[in-house]
Amino acid sequence: MSDFQQQDRPGFVEAFKRRFDPAVATAFACIIVLLLIGSFYSSNFLTATYLIQQMKVAAFLGIAASGVMLVILLGHIDLSIPWVLTAGAMMACAATGFGPVGTALAVPAGILTGALFGLFNGIGVAYLRIPAMIVTLSTNVVAQGLMVVYSGGFSPQDSASDAMRWLATGVLIPGVPNAILVWALVAVAISFLLGRTAFGRTLYGIGNNERAVYLSGIGTRRVVLLAFVLAGALSAFAGVLLAGYASKAAQSMGNAYLLPAIASVVLGGTSILGGKGSYLGTVAGVILITLLQSILSVMQMPEAGRQMIYGVVILAMLLAYGRGPRSV
Amino acid sequence: MPLLTMEGISKRYGGVTALSGADLEVEAGSIHAILGENGAGKSTLIKVLSGVVPADEGRILLDGKEMHFASPAAANAAGVVCVFQELSLIPELSVADNIVISNPPMRFGMIDRAEQRRIAEAALARAGASDIHPRALVKDLPLSRRQMVEIAKALARNPRILILDEATSALTAADVGRIYDVLKRLRSEGLALLYISHRMNEIAELADRCTVFRNGHNVSSYDQGTRSDAEVIEMMIGREYSAAFPERAPVPADARPVLETRNLGWNGRLSDISFTLREGEVIGLGGLDGQGQRELLLALFGVLRGLEGDILVAGKPVNLTSPAAARSEAVGMALIPEDRKTEGLMLPMSVRQNLSFAALDRVTRAGVVDRRQEQQLIDEMVRLLAIKTGGLDLPVGALSGGNQQKVVIAKWLMRAPRIILLNDPTRGIDVGTKQEIYQLMRKLAAEGAAILFYSTDYDELIGCCDRVLVLYDGRIRSELAGEELTEHALVASAMNLDDSVAETTA
Repeated sequence: MSDFQQQDRPGFVEAFKRRFDPAVATAFACIIVLLLIGSFYSSNFLTATYLIQQMKVAAFLGIAASGVMLVILLGHIDLSIPWVLTAGAMMACAATGFGPVGTALAVPAGILTGALFGLFNGIGVAYLRIPAMIVTLSTNVVAQGLMVVYSGGFSPQDSASDAMRWLATGVLIPGVPNAILVWALVAVAISFLLGRTAFGRTLYGIGNNERAVYLSGIGTRRVVLLAFVLAGALSAFAGVLLAGYASKAAQSMGNAYLLPAIASVVLGGTSILGGKGSYLGTVAGVILITLLQSILSVMQMPEAGRQMIYGVVILAMLLAYGRGPRSV
Repeated sequence: MPLLTMEGISKRYGGVTALSGADLEVEAGSIHAILGENGAGKSTLIKVLSGVVPADEGRILLDGKEMHFASPAAANAAGVVCVFQELSLIPELSVADNIVISNPPMRFGMIDRAEQRRIAEAALARAGASDIHPRALVKDLPLSRRQMVEIAKALARNPRILILDEATSALTAADVGRIYDVLKRLRSEGLALLYISHRMNEIAELADRCTVFRNGHNVSSYDQGTRSDAEVIEMMIGREYSAAFPERAPVPADARPVLETRNLGWNGRLSDISFTLREGEVIGLGGLDGQGQRELLLALFGVLRGLEGDILVAGKPVNLTSPAAARSEAVGMALIPEDRKTEGLMLPMSVRQNLSFAALDRVTRAGVVDRRQEQQLIDEMVRLLAIKTGGLDLPVGALSGGNQQKVVIAKWLMRAPRIILLNDPTRGIDVGTKQEIYQLMRKLAAEGAAILFYSTDYDELIGCCDRVLVLYDGRIRSELAGEELTEHALVASAMNLDDSVAETTA
């Protein structure tokens, strides 16, 4: 809905008004408020170093949120993020144990692992017609079980490949960490996918009225399947980068990503019921959540308090936007 | 004094007038039948009487006292109970639970199971269905038994006026016989029964008095047996042709068959449907609402599972398992669905996105939408159908009903289909747009498209179609063309009456 440029008719202001989404604007306004609050606690808060550091942290969340956004646009949900992310990280690291070839294929191996879990989710939702909440929750547990079997319950000894480290912590353009660059590339790709491709149109269509899409002669099941595969692949990719950042995979590395990923999509104005939302909003949501986390830790808020504040913020945003009358 | 008097009842839904100044008088101890075509206002009258919708104007008097029913519960309390044609039972609960659901007997704040069972048994016996066990789950009962439970549920509320809206349509012949006995007994107990049915023979058998509705008000009331079937049909139609229809050229005798069905059947709802649709031909589907017309269109479009019989496209058998298969290049079919809001459009999405949705595969290269080509096709369609929008990027839900319908049609015309299935495309839209749709249909047919057109409006069928297939109970009851294609013949066929009735009145 967002990326519809008007090349052929005048009225730039009109076009801007139409594309202006109050939810996205609110998310950006909240970011500014958070920065101001943060600057009271610490003078470092508005420095370039700190902000770039925050964007780097946000990149991992941003990539995972990109995947879950596709699924939420359909009106479904992906609750398998934590262990699909971990599985991606572990499998990528495991690949480095297979000599130079394995090392070279570490990143694709991690992504492929996530895509396979996503395929499992997609088949369950699209073909077996099981509610996404059940399927993805089960996938999460199955992935957890598989990883515990693989690692014997301890953090695996294999470490990240150089390529993974470079992607997460290297610097290609001076001043801009590669993680931010990778997120930017993912962002461009997802925006293009949503705005310019038949797949993107169909995602929004299914989220709004699946029956109409089906009666338009479009294979809705394949689209749903593909969205879950992409979501799994992106979760795992986030895990691969995280493993590169930390140099190795860890058992519970994904646990901290489920709620923030879904929350940032919803805070960015994407309807939890599907069919409405822009990627720009998700970017705002991701930055908002990341800054919120950062401020809460600067304020030395204990973990329990952080969790409560997430929950309350999400509820507040849902009250503000999720229940409004449909735009028609 | 009559038990029930309704005076000057009017009801509008948005711009559509469903009832205007309707009157009705019902005596206690009688069965009163209400007749009328689709959309004559019968259902709305019942809804007003049973408290489902409020009337805009008019009064309801019960025993001479004016009543205001704010809800079905209020109407029930006053003794007006309705058996709706849509079943209102909860499948997962038992028969007894369902019968007492609105007012279960209580003991110490909990439901008194023994008392509940006693009430249910009494109600079932009164409905002539004592063979149904009160503890059986509703979901385990066949449709005809459920309908009996529905009637028992109504009787458990001790009605003074019992309304039966197409209550026999799901019943087997044996049950219908039993129901007749039950209804006659209830009449002798002093109840007033309002009976709505499309089956003339049932009305002849049961009713004491009849009221005919047309265009939202009562046109005549008479004692059963004082009017012939032909006169009744005359009263039900009795209106002038209001629409002007475009000229049509006869279909050449050598036109190639495009779509054929042989003995098509589905799930007891369609049986033995065979017809041939030729290039440039418009075939109408007639009959009363809900006789299988929608199912037939959905079956052809690959939506229904488990079809019997064969479908042939251009002489070759095809197996259409999804709308995607039906719209493919080899078949070239399009379905304009029944309800544009739930089946045709994605209301919050833009006019542009809706227009190109069914033809996305035609305007994409490697999955990427070619916006220039998309715009070309859209411009063409907007011109062809004269769609009026405030802008292509506004949500389609902001358009008027007629323009929304044009978008639904345009989105399919963009694929240049060879077979076009139309499911009541003019319902709820303004007269001007209707005319445009008639013109468009003839234009498409002249260009070689084969069109199957279901409409609930008999004028449209007569004015637009080369032939009309009248469906009754999932079968083709008759085929009307040329001189035979008259409103009398359509109504008589739709009511499953003998053809001679139509001839004597023609």
